[in-house]
Amino acid sequence: MKITIDNKKIKIDKPATVLDVAAQNDIYIPSLCAHPELVPYGGCRLCIVEIEGRRGYPTACTTHVEDGMVVRTDTKILKEMRTELTQLILSEHPSACMMCDDVEGCSVFQGTIRKVGITTGCRWCPKDKDCEFQRIVESLGIHDLTLPGLYRDIPIEKYDPFFDRDYNLCIYCGRCVRICNEYRKSSVLSLKQRGKFTTIGPAFEATHIDANCEFCGACVSVCPTGAMSEKSRKWWGVPEKYEASTCPLCSLNCDIQVLTLKDKIVGTLPPGVPHEAGGELCVKGRFCLSELVNRTTRILEPQFKYKEGYGFVSWEVANEKAVEIVKEVKPGRSAMLLSPSLNLEEIHFAKQFAEKALHTELISSSCINENLLAYMEMASHSVSLNDLKKAGCLLSIFLDGNYKYAPVTMLIKDLASKVIPYCQIGWTKDTTTRFATHFYVPKSGDVEGFLDKILFNLKKEKAKTKQPIITETLAETKNSAMIIGPEIMSLTNCISILDKLKQVAKQSHSMIYMPNPYGNLDGLLALVDVVPFDEIRKKIDKKEIDLLYLVGDSAFKKNPGVMKIIYQNAFPAPEDLQPDLILPTALWGESNGRYLNTDKKIKKSYSVGDRHGYSLPHRQVFLDLAKSLKVKLPKFSAKDLRKEFQLKLKPVPEKIKVPAPSKNYPFSLVQENAQHVYSSLNLSTGIEGFGDLVKADHILLHPSDARKQGFNNEEWAILGSSKTEKKFRVLIRKNIPKGIVLLTSSNGQLEFESNPCPVKIRRDHV
Amino acid sequence: MERLDVSYDKILHAYPNEEGSLIPLLQKMQATKRYISPEMVEAVADYLGITESQVYGVASFYSQFRFTEPGKHSISVCLGTACHVNGGETLLETFERDLNIKPGECTPDKKFDLNRVACIGCCALAPVVKVDNDVHSKVNVIKLKEIWTSYE
Ligand code: SF4
Ligand code: SF4
Ligand code: FES
Ligand code: FES
Repeated sequence: MKITIDNKKIKIDKPATVLDVAAQNDIYIPSLCAHPELVPYGGCRLCIVEIEGRRGYPTACTTHVEDGMVVRTDTKILKEMRTELTQLILSEHPSACMMCDDVEGCSVFQGTIRKVGITTGCRWCPKDKDCEFQRIVESLGIHDLTLPGLYRDIPIEKYDPFFDRDYNLCIYCGRCVRICNEYRKSSVLSLKQRGKFTTIGPAFEATHIDANCEFCGACVSVCPTGAMSEKSRKWWGVPEKYEASTCPLCSLNCDIQVLTLKDKIVGTLPPGVPHEAGGELCVKGRFCLSELVNRTTRILEPQFKYKEGYGFVSWEVANEKAVEIVKEVKPGRSAMLLSPSLNLEEIHFAKQFAEKALHTELISSSCINENLLAYMEMASHSVSLNDLKKAGCLLSIFLDGNYKYAPVTMLIKDLASKVIPYCQIGWTKDTTTRFATHFYVPKSGDVEGFLDKILFNLKKEKAKTKQPIITETLAETKNSAMIIGPEIMSLTNCISILDKLKQVAKQSHSMIYMPNPYGNLDGLLALVDVVPFDEIRKKIDKKEIDLLYLVGDSAFKKNPGVMKIIYQNAFPAPEDLQPDLILPTALWGESNGRYLNTDKKIKKSYSVGDRHGYSLPHRQVFLDLAKSLKVKLPKFSAKDLRKEFQLKLKPVPEKIKVPAPSKNYPFSLVQENAQHVYSSLNLSTGIEGFGDLVKADHILLHPSDARKQGFNNEEWAILGSSKTEKKFRVLIRKNIPKGIVLLTSSNGQLEFESNPCPVKIRRDHV
Repeated sequence: MERLDVSYDKILHAYPNEEGSLIPLLQKMQATKRYISPEMVEAVADYLGITESQVYGVASFYSQFRFTEPGKHSISVCLGTACHVNGGETLLETFERDLNIKPGECTPDKKFDLNRVACIGCCALAPVVKVDNDVHSKVNVIKLKEIWTSYE
């Protein structure tokens, strides 16, 4: 195909729109609503062009090229019409950032009209200088308004976490609505009402949380104006650099780009052109990373516990003190705990240091227990995300999640919307639920029985009776896939449940996919022969441990009874832990590192931001200490990663009976252990916005269950099982099924005797 | 108010589970209570496998649907072109002040609800106000009070 655009002859080999072809050939056509990921919309009409032989002014974004087409993009009349359209938008869009007399000198002289003694310029739009609409106005050379302006005066929406919405700046390009709908398939946003009363948002006046928003930030990324803005970097200005890296907040290790300004990490986005980079990430990778590294509580200087109390010390002194401590301890009487979010190099040097300097093989992490090892053993048979794309049917089990594993949930939605059968077993309605042909909510005592039933049916030769839908789906589709979520690790009888799932997978020839919430647990297991955390605890109780070396893992709330504790982390230790030596370290983004992900691929993350205070990368700390101790630590090589490794699994333990709900205890309590932890920082309690989403120490109820008991949000409730009674605050969430009570406890421990557990709820009358 | 978990199954299952059922379903739903409640939106969304926001987005586009409980009498102020230039906006504002409610809402005593409509086809009589099925023509602010008090 040959076409001509503005006298330029262009050859095209595959179908495309006029707008795309022009862009590929460096011909600028103004556009606002078009977006490469989205179906052409034709809403803003700025991309109008003239095409020989066609009447009127077709929009370039919706017109496909045809052989011999002659297109003109820049005639006088087109420019006039575009100017007119832009003037119309400007009549409702605040324009102080463009029409001010001082616009030119503003950034140089920073004048202000406020009565304050500072000169900062007037900053009232968070996207100033990073706004697509500004660029359009500029390219059309508009310097004055021709129509009277109207300020819509819509209240700014600030009550949801992570991003603010000021629809006074909205130009109704619909990109946010479309990316949420077409790309994320979450459909949280709609254009509501019509004409000049049009607004954007969820049904009625629902909050985004209630509308099942994933806080993936796709809508925020693609908004061409300042209508949507990230709370954490709202007024920080345009980032200077966008650098590729990897997210360390779960085992998927998604590709990301890190935004920096004056070498400070200010935000993260999925890869791609900033205003086009859609939403491949989950809320953790999109919004939590920059908040994590910029936490004001970070440890900035080494500290030593003198008799009189803590004192800041230099690294030299810190090193001396560390050497003293290490020399004091007999070989084999120390233990090291590592965070599963450390990168491969850090784990390697920690391990080498433990072996060569501490002479110990007791390396663990506070997350490592029997259940986790069983889970990880099964997960070692995980297929890759790419293989999952070939699935003929999908079953997700306890994936429960709007706020995690975004590539997985997006894949589910994508496949399921292409009529691939999808069944879901779990305790929260997430954005995949509406694509499920079957959504099963196990009650307390149900989980194993239900799996038994599936197994039984699968084993039956061509049963005549009608098969339950899940069995049918698994048995009758080729390439079935089971996606198992790590929430399973906190269930009673986890190991035997996993065992059943294994059998189901085997019987139905399903592939399995099992992500985990730790950035580099796979790497930790591939490098270190870990011992379960409990073993270390027992040794401490038997007084066999003198030194506890904590690397990014706080593990204990107070000193468990060891002589010395070295605490090497970026975030402060629990108050009562009272380590003897505190060594501040760099975090993700402040040193280079590699991670091993669920796909068994090595992913790289880079140092892009300045280190905070006097912190040093873990690796450096170990190397310096080793030097003072006169031991040599070998370099890291990816060859050290064991492909095959044996996890020390115990036989399936005896089963505990999980009772079913009864008249007295009608609800099924499900406890999720807060596993969103990064370098000992629990995201639920450490990051305010994430805490709003995954609220720690609250019980989540369906609105009708809450109403029956007369509960409002944040009221105290007493949750009682036949053995335990505890007090929690109530949170009403529409995505909790009826009859289910969901609890995320911040200490990572189960609060009730079994999980799930039948409970009753009553009001606390104090 | 204790009719918490009313089931809409009967209405829902009368329609096939497909996109085209949305509008007829909403109409049927509205017919039961004269307005569409959040619960209805939820039920329709669940049934059709779309989100509540998608249902609401479509429904709120059409003026035939309302989302608040209607009062005993419905006041509609025309804001079509003819009525607008003849002061429809002022009439609406006066109503808002007198009844202390916004368009789309209903007075606490459930007597009146207030709506804005676009052109009801009697532009020659602009500005017009419709109360239930009575059209009041050439209304002005002074006449307003007379009109609504006569329905009390
Ligand atoms: S909020 Fe932004 S993306 Fe959404 S319609 Fe308005 S201008 Fe477009
Ligand atoms: S954050 Fe993601 S899920 Fe939420 S409204 Fe925006 S695009 Fe949709
Ligand atoms: S970009 Fe083509 S109409 Fe908006
Ligand atoms: S404009 Fe009000 S009736 Fe036509």
